[in-house]
Amino acid sequence: MTAAARPDALKALETAAGGAGANDSLGDAFLRDGYVIRPAEDRDALLRIQRYMADSAAESLGMAPPADPTRFLDEIGKHVRPDGLNAFRLHVINRLNEADWARQAYFGLARRTIESIIGNELAMQRNFALSIQLPEDDSSLLPTHADVWSECSPFEMVLWTAFVDCFATKSMFVLPLAESRAVTERLADFERSGVEGLFHAIEDRVQWLDIPFGSFLLFNPSLIHGNRVNHERTTRWSINCRFKGLFTPYSDKRLGSFFDVLSMRPATRMALSYKLPGGFDD
Amino acid sequence: MTDAETRGGYRGYIGSRPVAGTRYPQRVQNLVVRDYAARHGLELLLSLTEYAMPGCYMMLRDALAELAHAEGLILFSLFMLPPDPERRQAVYREVFERGATLHAALEDLMVTGPEDLAKFEDILLVDAWLPHTPGRGYWDKAG
Repeated sequence: MTAAARPDALKALETAAGGAGANDSLGDAFLRDGYVIRPAEDRDALLRIQRYMADSAAESLGMAPPADPTRFLDEIGKHVRPDGLNAFRLHVINRLNEADWARQAYFGLARRTIESIIGNELAMQRNFALSIQLPEDDSSLLPTHADVWSECSPFEMVLWTAFVDCFATKSMFVLPLAESRAVTERLADFERSGVEGLFHAIEDRVQWLDIPFGSFLLFNPSLIHGNRVNHERTTRWSINCRFKGLFTPYSDKRLGSFFDVLSMRPATRMALSYKLPGGFDD
Repeated sequence: MTDAETRGGYRGYIGSRPVAGTRYPQRVQNLVVRDYAARHGLELLLSLTEYAMPGCYMMLRDALAELAHAEGLILFSLFMLPPDPERRQAVYREVFERGATLHAALEDLMVTGPEDLAKFEDILLVDAWLPHTPGRGYWDKAG
């Protein structure tokens, strides 16, 4: 698929998301697929984050702010080499993590969807993670995995947002939910062949997600996913950040060190500070 | 010369008990505190190490008393504060009355006055209730 086709991809998403019964079908789509892809709910916030990242990237390179952020990010491979990529990436994401408006802006990209699928008392990951995948660069790959196999709780959801058009190998792959469950059940069979062996066993069944700029992906951490070398001509830029119900079970990504309280309803706030009267003798 | 002018540095505070259910070696706690101080440009004074006895805060008491001469206190984690909200409020009061600041290195949080306290308290209050929620608030993968 070419970059020129992308506005059509976003338009199709917008039509699907805004169609009759769209809210009713959101939960069904999530339960069927383990993920949903939807248009960003706050376009201004999306553009603000993209502009801020592009300006931070230009600053890191000693360049003037770019006139066209999307094109600049897409073509960052003209200015950054793989051996300098991680320091560059850290500069950009540290700047965004320091911006006091960024967390609310990022949440705003998918607020209604998150509240519909997770709930409205929420914990949010404290720091964003940024992925930059240069064309043909094998230094920033994410091996095949499901997040719940490491530190994540199955109650978390990942909000993955594209800041350029992401498609084919420039995007990430998922193993469809039913297949993910089947492979998860027999994961021990792959102990000898390793993670790369696991990928080759599922390679013909994975789906490369089409996530145009202007949209987001919200997915469950039990879904098997990953990325491979980006064989497209332009660079992937995506941010991921986790959300979960405030009072749902945590795993080793804990409240405080990894998650922060994003939203708490007044009744909960009042209840948390209530103390029964004491001083009675039994 | 005022107290503020004679003050210097931030006292570290590490522990000998599990923190929020996890046992961190003191060497690791020191690394986290040192990294926090370096990233925020804070002069770190040698950390005090709380005793292992449950409910004991004798070292914290000394650290608070010392705030007349230090600029603040860097806890390894905010979960090292007393679990009782009223005892915590007493800690905060003492910090602010001395014009000092309170930091939590693991959580990368700081409070500089009463208006900041929700940063600590929201997390601590919610966490205190997690054992009473489904799954006792923890998804245990160890079986």
